[in-house]
Amino acid sequence: MRLIPIVWTVFIGMEGVAQGQPKYDLLLKQGHVIDPANSIDAVMDVGITGGRIARVAADIPPAEGRKVLDVQGQYVTPGLIDLHAHVFGYSGAIFPDDTALIAGTTTVVDAGGSGWRTFDEMLERVIKPSRTRVLALINIVGHGMIGPKFEDDTGDMDPEKTAAKIGANRQHIVGIKVAHFGGQGWIAIDRAISAGKLSNTPVMIDDKIFTNTGRTSREKLLDKMRPGDIHTHMYNDRQLEVINRFNGKLEPYMMEARRRGVLFDLGHGGGSFLWPVASKAMAQGFAPDTISTDLHSSSIMIPESDMPNCISKLMDLGMTLQDAILRSTVNPAKAIRRFPEAGTLGEGQIADVAVFSLRSGVFAYKDAWQKKRMSTKKLECVLTIRDGKLVYDLDGRGFPEWKEAGEYEVLP
Amino acid sequence: MTPLVIFLLVALAALPASSQEIYDLLLKGGHVIDPKNKRNDRLDIAITGDLVRKIARDIPAAHARRVVELGDYLVTPGLIDLHTHFDAQGAPLSLNPDHNSLRYGVTTAVDAGTSGWKNFEQFKKNVIDRSKTRVLAFVNIVGSGMFGSNVENDVNEMDPEAAAQVVRKHPQTIVGIKTAHFQPATWDAVDRAIKAADLSKTIVMVDFHPKPGRGYRELLLEHMRPGDIHTHFYGRLTPQLDAKKKVQDYMWAARKKGVLFDVGHGSGSLWFRIAVPAIEQGFLPDTISTDIHKNSIMLPRATMTNVMSKFLAMGLTVEQVIERSTVNPAKAIRRPDLGSIEEGGIADLAVLQVRSGKVALLDSGHGKLTTDRELRCVLTVRKGEIVWDTEGLSLTDWRNAGPYSNFK
Repeated sequence: MRLIPIVWTVFIGMEGVAQGQPKYDLLLKQGHVIDPANSIDAVMDVGITGGRIARVAADIPPAEGRKVLDVQGQYVTPGLIDLHAHVFGYSGAIFPDDTALIAGTTTVVDAGGSGWRTFDEMLERVIKPSRTRVLALINIVGHGMIGPKFEDDTGDMDPEKTAAKIGANRQHIVGIKVAHFGGQGWIAIDRAISAGKLSNTPVMIDDKIFTNTGRTSREKLLDKMRPGDIHTHMYNDRQLEVINRFNGKLEPYMMEARRRGVLFDLGHGGGSFLWPVASKAMAQGFAPDTISTDLHSSSIMIPESDMPNCISKLMDLGMTLQDAILRSTVNPAKAIRRFPEAGTLGEGQIADVAVFSLRSGVFAYKDAWQKKRMSTKKLECVLTIRDGKLVYDLDGRGFPEWKEAGEYEVLP
Repeated sequence: MTPLVIFLLVALAALPASSQEIYDLLLKGGHVIDPKNKRNDRLDIAITGDLVRKIARDIPAAHARRVVELGDYLVTPGLIDLHTHFDAQGAPLSLNPDHNSLRYGVTTAVDAGTSGWKNFEQFKKNVIDRSKTRVLAFVNIVGSGMFGSNVENDVNEMDPEAAAQVVRKHPQTIVGIKTAHFQPATWDAVDRAIKAADLSKTIVMVDFHPKPGRGYRELLLEHMRPGDIHTHFYGRLTPQLDAKKKVQDYMWAARKKGVLFDVGHGSGSLWFRIAVPAIEQGFLPDTISTDIHKNSIMLPRATMTNVMSKFLAMGLTVEQVIERSTVNPAKAIRRPDLGSIEEGGIADLAVLQVRSGKVALLDSGHGKLTTDRELRCVLTVRKGEIVWDTEGLSLTDWRNAGPYSNFK
């Protein structure tokens, strides 16, 4: 027995009954919509039908929604895109749905867990069964991110085979990752960029520069990386000399690289977000182009580097929520050339939507060194819609009180 | 570790008796709820290495290297989730154990038959041995474990002797036998699971789908033994209430006989329309557990603190909820070393907050229960290590940390 339509009729009122079938499967009422792609930053209603954003407008009658979600006082944004996640291959990899969707992240990009040899396994084991949209940057190492023995093996870095795998899987693979290379010189980065050229995709670089690697930040950013290539772990001072160690100033080549079109990604993780680096860089206006988590089995624990927390941390360093949403939606979508199919609430686009509460209180944010910074605001995901379906609903907005639902079965 | 070894270690470490011990970690000022030891009071807990060394009022802060002030928060034994699915490299619905346990105060997760006697070793190697969470297991009577109806309905997969052998080989990890999802209208699965438990001197956890000729009453009163566990007992599949929502006589008779009733929330097994009337009549769960998996963790949000909050909202006291999440499951799986806080015992602890405010909780049917408080895990200690600390209670402010850098 399904009493739900009756329950909703109470809320909808007689108008809804008179007009017959509701237009929208889901109607989000009275949320503060932030959709940077369409310059929307205002209280709006969002109607969703058939898995697509059908309408974003100031006042859609409640009667037009089959399920009406009251999100007054909450922020409604495009589902977030986490450009640096680990859901396959890497020993710290975690599943996407229970970690991404509950955080408002509807698209994760696996950063190099698989290589050309192992991507097919990732496709079957992770990409296909997940409700989260899972994309991949495949590792220049054919075996993927499975430890130094493999990741330092230049013999397994094959640009042609990597590019061929990308060519055959453009729906899922968005670029190349090079990471953790412990050897000297540029061979790993060169091979990755070569694969990037062959496949016409961007390369994401995770690269330590010190300990006698024979590599420098300046050369990497200005001579090696192409416009559109992404340096992740930007606030890890072992990856990039963002801030001059002696005078505390932003290094001029950072701005020069940005002007060239090199992108800088947060990639928080267990080692790459340090308050001393991030606060100096943010104070000098050097914010991440893309906000990402590097979420894995360690960074999800004490540092809690999920997307809303990364955004909250940057807000505490001076970024506005609107700007943070831009850098968590439009910017990563563009970086992987998936805009506007992801990253916006534009009418007609796939309905990936996140709803956030901006809570007040006392909160502690922890960096990769497990040092805390106290703050009074916290962004918290309260509801997630993926592909038009309500997948997470912390406060039960989409459902009736059990006492009013009769002998209910599973409510839609 | 046997109690004797623990005793010797403690005795050894306590020498010389005259000098004051310096502790690694002192949890100060929290309200300790330890139902097994009838503790319900403000107490300090001192930890060194992976052991609890002292539980007392007013242990001086000066005696510990690190002091965490807990204010009004509750300190409980590390929670035990009796029904989980964590064979992350195995059967499809499994999750990763650590962030789905430790973040919710669970330091011991019992996997409920995700793997069977054929693939338990893989589960152990891939997950159990690599997890910070203590992962124990009911091994499935189905050799291949929870790989769908083809194997789970195949009686040839159910070998009591083979299952008992695996249990005997891993007495520290395997706590019993699981039977689940069996559809043919025969008693094969239940009886073979019980046979395996008899052979291995362990217990059975039963997930049961009644069929014509294979009734719930018979299961409880004729097949299950005292100490065996029926999980999902507030679910829709088993007739625990009559048409007037009165708890069936055989439920009480089974409880009297010693059959245990476990929540196992999951996607289909906690319904407010069933649990609320049962609880009103005094039929409470023996053990509170999640049946956490890829589906149940989403909309019904079957995490441990969430499931506990639902029972708080349905009228159980905080103490009753903690009891059913610590000492009761420890007793059920015959692990007296778990589920309580003991001087000399492994330091597995949860720090919980009863947070006030408007809270909405969903059941397996997505019916909503609106209430005014919930349990939330603030900090978790596993083997003496702080593995979760969402409020940074134990952490240094970065401004006071001196210069730090990854640069080497």
